[in-house]
Formats: sequence, C-alpha cells, structure tokens
Amino acid sequence: MALNLGTRTSPIPISGGVHVSHLGKSYGSNKVLSDVNLKMQEGEVVSIIGPSGAGKSTFLRCLNYLEVPTEGTITIGGARVCADDSRPDKASLDHLRKVTGMVFQSFNLFPHLTVMENITLPQRKVLRASKDRAEEVAQSLLKRVGLPEKAKEYPARLSGGQQQRIAIARALALSPSVMLFDEPTSALDPEIGLEVLAVMRDLADEGMTMLVVTHEMHFARDVSDRIMVMGNGGVLETGPSEQVMSDPSHERTRQFLKAVLDR
Amino acid sequence: MSAPGSFSKPSWIGSGTMILDIFLTVSKGIGLTLYITAASLFFGGIVGLFLAAGAQSRFALLRLAVAAYVNVVRVIPPITWLFLIYFGLPQFALKLSTLEAAIVGFSVIASAFMAEIYRSGLLSIPVGQREAAHALGMGQLTTARWVITPQAFRVALPAIATYAIGLLKDSALASTIGVHEITYFAQQSAKQLHQGLLSFALAGALYIILSLVIAVISRRIHVRLRQKTGVA
Repeated sequence: MALNLGTRTSPIPISGGVHVSHLGKSYGSNKVLSDVNLKMQEGEVVSIIGPSGAGKSTFLRCLNYLEVPTEGTITIGGARVCADDSRPDKASLDHLRKVTGMVFQSFNLFPHLTVMENITLPQRKVLRASKDRAEEVAQSLLKRVGLPEKAKEYPARLSGGQQQRIAIARALALSPSVMLFDEPTSALDPEIGLEVLAVMRDLADEGMTMLVVTHEMHFARDVSDRIMVMGNGGVLETGPSEQVMSDPSHERTRQFLKAVLDR
Repeated sequence: MSAPGSFSKPSWIGSGTMILDIFLTVSKGIGLTLYITAASLFFGGIVGLFLAAGAQSRFALLRLAVAAYVNVVRVIPPITWLFLIYFGLPQFALKLSTLEAAIVGFSVIASAFMAEIYRSGLLSIPVGQREAAHALGMGQLTTARWVITPQAFRVALPAIATYAIGLLKDSALASTIGVHEITYFAQQSAKQLHQGLLSFALAGALYIILSLVIAVISRRIHVRLRQKTGVA
C-alpha cells in the first residue's frame, strides 16, 4: 500500500538519502558529540540505540538544526549544510527543515488547534498550500494513521498514542525526504506504544527513509535495516540489525544489550 | 470624604427621587469610564506586545531599554503620570484634551503592565512548541503569530482581566484632570446636592457592577477555552 498524499504526484519524495560526515558538537571545551558519520540509502530505516547520555537525541536534533552542530556536514534530500560555517544562511536552514520531518517524545501537538488545523497549518504556512489542498492531504493522512474521525478534536481529548500518530501525520504532510523519530514511544505505556510502532512499521514498509532513536529493541531488530549504537558522544558501531543484536563487535554494545534485554 | 455640609442634613433616607436623581447623574459617567478603560487596555495591549517582543530580543541593549521603560513606568503613580501628561506636555506645545491626556496616560501605564503579563504568558509555553514549529519549517514570525501568541494569550487571560479591573478603578483618577467619568459626576452631585455619602456610595456600586461584568465575561471565555482545548 502506497502512502496516499492526496493529489501529489510523488507520494514519497525522491530523497537521495542522508549523508552525515564528521558531525560534532561541543559547548566550549565540553564535547558532547564527536565524529558521527552516517550514510543512509533512500528508503532505509536506521535505529539509533545506546545508553542515555550517549548523544542519540543530540545527534538527531542536529540533523534539523534544533541543536547547532559545531563541525561536520549534513546532506539530506538536496539540502546541504556545513557546520564549519558560522551559522548556515536562512535558505539552506529552511531547506533542511523542509526535507526533514521530526517526531518528538512529547508529541508537541499545538494544543490550541484542532487535529485538522495542526496538520494544515504547516502546509499552509511553509508550503503555501491552499486550504482545500491542505485539508485533502490532512484527511488522507489521518486515514493513513487510522484516525480519520478525529479531525475536529483538540489534542487534549486524545490519548498519547493517538496524539503521537497525529504528530506523525503532521510531519508527513510536508512530504519530507527523511523522518526523524526521537524516542517516539518513550512517553507512552507499552501497550499504547504498539499502535505508534505499527504506524511506523507501515511507513517503513512503504519505503520512507527513517532514522529512529529508540529503546524498543524489537522494533530496532525487526523493522530497521541497520542499527547504529552510540555511546559517550560517538558511534560505537553500525551494522545490519540482526548482526548488531546477536553478535555485536563492541564490548560496550554487548553490555548495553545485555542490560536492556535481560530486563 | 463627604461633601461640605452633608453631615448637617438629617437623613437621606426616604427620598427615593433623590437617590434616582443622583444615580442618573453618576451614571452619565459610565460611558467615559468604560471608554478610558477599554481604549487604554487596547493601546496599552498593543504597545505591550512590542515591549514583550523586545524583552525577548537577542540584542541586550533593546532588552535593557524595555526593562528600564517597564520599571520606570510602573513605579510612577498613575496620578503623577496624568498630571505630567496633562499639565507637563503643553510646555512642549503638545496640548491634549483631558480625555486624550487620560487615555495616553493610562495607555502608557497599561503598556508596562501588559508587557509583564505577556512575558509570564510566554514563559509558560513549553519549549517543545517552538521546536515543533521550527522542525516543521515555520520561521520565527510564523511561529510567534500562529503557535506561541495564541497559547500565551490564553494563559495570560485571567491576569489581563484582573488588570482590566484594576484599570477600571484607576480610571477614577481621570476626574482629577476633569474627565467626565463616574467619579467626576459623583463629585458634582455631592457638591450640588450636598449628598456626599450617597453620591460616592452609588459611584462605588457602579464600579462593583462594572468589575463584576468584566470578571464574568473573562471567566466565561476562560472556561470555554479550557473545555475546548484543555489548556490555560
């Protein structure tokens, strides 16, 4: 089943993948991220795992400049930003944010807007879409995440799982080249988390390029093509999911996996 | 404070027509009382918006200027502001009518207080709201206009209503420069009819009623917004 984005010609935009090289971030002399490299094919799903404080979220948030990296290069969907420059010009920053969609741990829906308005506002302001077009796209995305009847509700009336699915729909409405997920199920109880994971799994099956910071080891193993393990602000190892889970090459990875899987 | 001679009258009870007379006279001030309050809240509210934006600026000098303005305005008593504007500005060939002077004065004061109210509203919005908007590609202005301000306004609404009631009471000071609002008429009837107690008691009652109206309206809006969105 293809992702139905209304009348758009290319349901999943041509992304050209993700290429991050030598990304680093430091506060003064305190290095929180160093030499992170990642190359993703279009349509690839990569999970980022690792202990807390490893820099997983910081890395993800650098990719759309919610955090400003201090070194390295980011190339996503034709947008290219060098962190060596003082600060990227507005045009490339706008471009970068347009080609990345982000889903947050705390959903961050706009509470004063209905579900429909949450999904149409960015389309109208960023893509300059017409009201009709934006609502058409929103309606089909709501169907896609299984919540077509919630268009007129306010976020406060929805469960956490429903809110997160709406947040996914809102990000998808801008047809990003890559979707960034920052612990999308960590604020949900395990059972509710499953409905969000199911939506993400469908998205992966449809060929969306996805980068997922997660503690859901089943999702990491079953859905992602590769797993990147981070620790202490750097990459410990990156490899095919099956291999990283069953036969990690780094001792720290082994410790971490043992700790989470033995729970 | 009673008008001269009022103590020598045996009683004001029993004269229903006199109460009505005084009430009608004092009521003539309702219009200007509300007008000064609403206009000052409106202009002060708009200027306050810019002040609140300035207080968030990345330029330290602008932040400092806003802080200085807000503090200076707030520590000078309202009546001093009114005299300064009504009696002081004409020296610079800027002669305002009494009503204009009152609205300018209260707008200046309201702008400082409203800026502070907005600021606390802004601070209450979680940082995730701004991040989500930016991640969606929305710029600073779009985010401020469509995401932050509407939410901050909801949070600030009760404080704005409280301030509006305060302003309504302060507007009585406009009588000192001769604006024909409630207290001005109460003073007139107190002098003319030697009915100080009754005149000012009726004026007080009018302020109570007007305050209640503001409180009820704001409460209604607040409850409706909360039922709908679960915020504020």
